[in-house]
Amino acid sequence: MTAALLTCSLTWPRPPLAATPREADIAKAAAQRISFSGPQTRALWQPRLERLGEVALAIELEMVRRKRIPAAVLWTGHDGIGALTERARSIGLDAKPIKASLGYAADWPLEASIDDPKRLLDYAFLIGAAPLDASIAEPAADGLEQAAIRFGYPPCCAKSWADYLRQGGSDPLARLLARGHKTAVPAYVALAVLGLGPIRHGPCAADCSATRDQSRAFLNLGRELGFAEEMSWLDEIADWPVVASLVNGIAEVTTAAFRCTWLSDEDTSPRHGTAATRPAKRVGAAAATVKSADSADILTELGVGFEAAGFENPFAMRSRFSTVVWEQTAALRRAASAVHVGCGDGLLLELISQTKPRLRLYGTEQDAAAAGASRRRLGASLPVLSGPSIEALAALSRLAPDGIDLAFVDPERLDCREALAAVRAIARSVIVIGTDRSLHRHKDMDTLAVTMGLALLPGRAGRVSAALSAPSGRPH
Amino acid sequence: MTVEVRPLGDKCNIKCRYCYQEGIRTAGNVPTRYDLDAIIATLDKLAEPFSLFGGEIMLTRRSDLERLMQLGFDRYGGVGMQTNGTLIEERDIELFRKYHVRIGISIDGPGPLNDARWAGNLPATRRATARIEAAIETLCREGMPPNVIVTLNRMNAAPDRLNVLCAWIGFLGGIGVRKLRLHLLEQDETEAGEGLALTAQENLVALRRLKRFEQELPSVQFDIFAEMAAMLGGDDAQTSCVFHACDPYATRAVVGVESDGRLGNCGRTNKDGVTHMRAGREAFERQLSLYRTPQADGGCQGCRFFLACKGNCPGTAIGGDWRMRSIDCPVWFGLFEDIETELLANGETAISRSERRSDLEAKMIAAWSIGDNPTLHSLIKQAGTP
Repeated sequence: MTAALLTCSLTWPRPPLAATPREADIAKAAAQRISFSGPQTRALWQPRLERLGEVALAIELEMVRRKRIPAAVLWTGHDGIGALTERARSIGLDAKPIKASLGYAADWPLEASIDDPKRLLDYAFLIGAAPLDASIAEPAADGLEQAAIRFGYPPCCAKSWADYLRQGGSDPLARLLARGHKTAVPAYVALAVLGLGPIRHGPCAADCSATRDQSRAFLNLGRELGFAEEMSWLDEIADWPVVASLVNGIAEVTTAAFRCTWLSDEDTSPRHGTAATRPAKRVGAAAATVKSADSADILTELGVGFEAAGFENPFAMRSRFSTVVWEQTAALRRAASAVHVGCGDGLLLELISQTKPRLRLYGTEQDAAAAGASRRRLGASLPVLSGPSIEALAALSRLAPDGIDLAFVDPERLDCREALAAVRAIARSVIVIGTDRSLHRHKDMDTLAVTMGLALLPGRAGRVSAALSAPSGRPH
Repeated sequence: MTVEVRPLGDKCNIKCRYCYQEGIRTAGNVPTRYDLDAIIATLDKLAEPFSLFGGEIMLTRRSDLERLMQLGFDRYGGVGMQTNGTLIEERDIELFRKYHVRIGISIDGPGPLNDARWAGNLPATRRATARIEAAIETLCREGMPPNVIVTLNRMNAAPDRLNVLCAWIGFLGGIGVRKLRLHLLEQDETEAGEGLALTAQENLVALRRLKRFEQELPSVQFDIFAEMAAMLGGDDAQTSCVFHACDPYATRAVVGVESDGRLGNCGRTNKDGVTHMRAGREAFERQLSLYRTPQADGGCQGCRFFLACKGNCPGTAIGGDWRMRSIDCPVWFGLFEDIETELLANGETAISRSERRSDLEAKMIAAWSIGDNPTLHSLIKQAGTP
């Protein structure tokens, strides 16, 4: 096999061929559209498929040489014509061009130009013993069946193919993949489209026994010619599970190793095709959540009392509290208990509990309605202490006599100067929260702290929250 | 072309119910390790700006992630990154700044509006959502506002929630978010997106509401509406992949660089759980077929918006079969009609109403037939004014 011959491809099926197929060269189209399922399968099968292409050509030409078929039809680009004709001559055969078709743009030589269109075309050549009569490959409609038989079609397939050609068809597989066709198409039939054998004709049915016989004859000749290993690959392919379908004139064959597709004939059968096979998805949990969320008042769930809490809207409050939790992740990880002083509707505490469910949490809230909302959000197991800050904090110190690890507080919401001192007395660490109100007024956490006479832990100021330093921190 | 680097393929820390990658994960086809040198070697060959993608890209070891960020910064002045935002930590903010990382975050709304982006159970889902909200606010405060992707579904855009969604988008605009991409939920065969999908009518209502809302927003832009107008105007230079002639065997808009450095396709059409490799040749069977297939059979025959829409994304095709047109056709058709009406009312041209439409279609079909995919703009330029 010369390198130049690799640029040509054996047609599939053998002649007779349709005058105006949707793909001029189905075998080439399908081969170029192979998409491997992974790098290992590609590493294994890409070179094998290329080798099988060379071997199929060698076997086909040998069949011509032995006069089992009158000729073979090959496609090549302009630059491959010389090598193709030379190769034919070297085995005592003649090569005769029978048609040309505009090739794929991606295959055009870089230097090709529209001014020199011959280099943009693909050429079909008939290879056979001289003298070659081009009409043997494309006979008149009434000679199609006899022509097919001459090209090795079993009689049943020759009749079927001739009928299909007369109906305007061009792809033998289209009939087998059509929606109305009930018999599953085996791999060795579906992958015949690649032009690699062992089926070289258009079969009349997926389970045609004469076609199976032809397939065996191809394999036997291959082995006789010394291609035992290659024929074993074809044997292997024949047993692959395969999914093949035709939808809206596009055929697709999927195996475990690769999938490929090509423009086929329209499916004229009435019902719709089978959609791609898809793994089952989880369904149970999804339905449950749709229900629970739909039953809630969405705005309440997002957060209420945002104005009192110092925010412009519920989204700002939720976003800010989420950011506070995010910024204080490390502190929360170390803590065993936490309190939100002035907890409003309990949103921050809820977000904290979602981050660290085992944390002992408390809330204090001066406004009775907000405290009620907080209890509804958080449930009975999380104490929300209502009343003025000092009283609520005193109650908290009785509830948690060993103190609280973390206290979250907006100093602007404390109702008296002593409240922050009370917070500091009960909490080992105090996190100051920046609300829209306070950050608009003070710009950042550092300025907020300085303005309020608070000292922050050095280097610990976050964007929207900060830890107070231990020794001082009195309200301004 | 977008080059998406995917060291861990489709591996993700959450499991959004509507995620188009779920098929791959269900089939167990996610890599557990990656070869960073092979990935970088492929990026060297491609020599294109790239984005960090997943699955969830933040599952990648930070030192490796930094190496990729640095590569993008050194070669192209920055790198894109699409993340669910749940794994962003304080230390990452400096990396993003240092390497000019352009962040895109996927979130469908605050709190319960984001419940479709499921993290295993409800508390975990809400925790994840809170972390995303925190990441968005933090990035905005750091002067690196992320682009946001919102997928419309029953949890965030059902009729009784649409106003809440709009108000939240207004809030995002207020804190600095400038670009927001709207996605329709990718429906699958399992009970219409497991109960999450809006009906076509609901989707259309939601998008029309959002389109009107865009006019009220001083700073946030939903790219989808401007892109549809551009497509109708014949200007497809900057529009996103769903309006182009996508070949699912060799996606042009998206090239994935997978865990071992191999090239992959956009994963939206991987319905059988396999990440297929790129085919050797790009082709346009889908568009050729859709153009001639009657609409009753899943095609686009006779649709005046075909040049602008092209059947839309094959990943959203009817029945999950890329050979059919998008299941969202009624939504796109309705929006194209709205935008067409607006263009004509403003005295502008729309190719859908142009006398040259059939000529342009013929030229495009001829080009696709030989494997070429010219821009609409170039065809219009050749042919003169539409």
